[in-house]
Amino acid sequence: MSVSSSRKITLILGAELEKLVTLPLVWLTLMGTFILNIVLAAAFISAGLQGAAGTQSILKIGLASMGYLQAGFIILGILATCSEYTGGQIRTTLTTIPWRGFQLSTKHLALAIVTIPMAFIIAASGVLYAFIMMRDTALVIEIDAIIKILVGATGYLTLTTLLSAAIGVLLRRTTPALVVLLGHYFIVSPLLRDFLPGIKNYFPDTAGYYMYMPPSSDDINVLTPMQGTGVLMLWTLIFITVAIVSYRKRDA
Amino acid sequence: MRAFNAELSKLFSLPGIWLAFLIGAFAPAVIAALDSTAQKEKIIAGVSTRLSEVGYIGLGLGVQGVIILGVLAVSSEYLTESSESGGGNQITTSLTVVSSRFHFLLAKASAVTVISILLSIVAILTTVSATNLILGEYAPAFEASRLIGAVCYWIFTALLAFGITVLTKNGIIPLAVLMINSSVVTVSYLLAKVTKLAFYLPDKAGVDMFMFTSDSFHTPFTGGLIMFAWVAVLFIVAAIVFHRRDVTS
Repeated sequence: MSVSSSRKITLILGAELEKLVTLPLVWLTLMGTFILNIVLAAAFISAGLQGAAGTQSILKIGLASMGYLQAGFIILGILATCSEYTGGQIRTTLTTIPWRGFQLSTKHLALAIVTIPMAFIIAASGVLYAFIMMRDTALVIEIDAIIKILVGATGYLTLTTLLSAAIGVLLRRTTPALVVLLGHYFIVSPLLRDFLPGIKNYFPDTAGYYMYMPPSSDDINVLTPMQGTGVLMLWTLIFITVAIVSYRKRDA
Repeated sequence: MRAFNAELSKLFSLPGIWLAFLIGAFAPAVIAALDSTAQKEKIIAGVSTRLSEVGYIGLGLGVQGVIILGVLAVSSEYLTESSESGGGNQITTSLTVVSSRFHFLLAKASAVTVISILLSIVAILTTVSATNLILGEYAPAFEASRLIGAVCYWIFTALLAFGITVLTKNGIIPLAVLMINSSVVTVSYLLAKVTKLAFYLPDKAGVDMFMFTSDSFHTPFTGGLIMFAWVAVLFIVAAIVFHRRDVTS
C-alpha cells in the first residue's frame, strides 16, 4: 500500500504521541514534578520572605526551583525512549515503521509536543505562586518580562528533555542513562563550574541557565539568552544526530 | 548463609553493578583531587577555611556508587523480562528458592552492606592517596574516627536506597531522589534554611559524622544515631510491606 509522505508523517506522529500519552510513568513523572515544584517553591519563598524583604525579585525566586525541576524532565525524556527497549516493543515499532531515522525524529517531535505545554505550566506555576505570596513585599515587574523569561524556561526544559531522550536512545537502558544524566546535571557540572570557570558557559546546563535567568550585573562573562539558547540547541542537535546515526546502524 | 552467598553472586552478575563500582571507587578520588587542586594555594598559604573538609568532600559527594548499588540490588529483582523470553520476574524465582521473605530481605541487605563496606574502603584508599599526591606535605591527616564515620555514612546511604526501592519496586524514583539529594546543593540543605527540623533528615545528620563544618548541627555520634534510626525505621516498614505484599502485583 502506498501512502503519500505527508499522510505518513501524520500517521507516525499520531502513533508516537499515542505511545507517549499511554505510558503511565509519563503522567506520574509530570505530576510528581509539579508537586515537587510547588513544595520547593514554597520553601524558596519562605526563605526569601525571611531574608531582606523587598529586594528579592519574584522571578528569581519563582524560578529558583528550576535546578531541581529539570530532573523530572530528564526522567521524562529517558522514559520516552527507553520504554521501547523494555520488552520487545522496539521490534514491533520498527516492523510497522521501517524508516528508522524518520521514526526517531518523529518521536522527538512528539516528545516536544507533549513537553512544551507541560514545561510551561510547571514553570509558570512556580512564578505564579511566588507572585501571589510575595505581592506585597517584592518589586513590581512588567508582564512582558515574565513572559519572556517563562518562554526561556519552557525552551530550556524542552531542550533538556530532548537531550535526555537522545541519550536514552544511545544507552538503551533506563538506569545507566539516568545515572549519567543526573550525575552530570547535579554533581559533575556544579563541581566543574567551580573548578573550570573558563569553559563552564559551554555546558548544556549552564548555557541553558542563561535562557531563563534574569541577567544580574555583577556577573562577568555571561551569555545573552540568545547565545545560551544557541549553545544548548547545538548540544541537543548533536546528540540527536548521533542518536539517529547509531540507531540506523545498530541491531535493534 | 547460602542465601547470602546467592545474593552476593546475583549482585556481582548484574551488568549495572560495574558502573556502581567504577563510580564508587573513583568518583570520590576525582572530586577530592579537583577540590585539592583548587584549594592548594590557599592551603599552602595557610589561609584556607576549608582545611577540615579537604578529601572528605569527595567522600561526601561520592556516595552515588552505593546509591546505585542499593537501588539496583532490589530493582533488578522486579524487572520484568521481555515477553520474548517468557516475561519472567526474578523475584518470583528468588522467593520460590528462599521462601522466608524475611530471610531473603536480610540476606540481600547483608550482601549490600558487605559490598558497601568494601567499596567505601577502596574509595577511602583512592581518595586519601589522591589528596596526598596533590597536596604533598600539606595534606591534612586523616583520622580513623572520621573515616569510620564516612564508612558508616556509605553503608547507611546504601541501605536507605535499598529500603526505599523495596517500597517503590522501581529504580527510577529512589535513584532520582537520592542522587539529587546527594548533589552539591541538596534539597535538605535548602530546607535547613527554612526549618531546623531539616537537620534531622538522614543525609544532613549523616554528613555530620565526618564533615566538620561551621554549619554542623549534631556531634558525629548523634548524627550517626539519627541516620541509623532512619535506616532502622525504613527497614521495619519495608520488611512489613514486603512481607504482606503479593509479589506479582
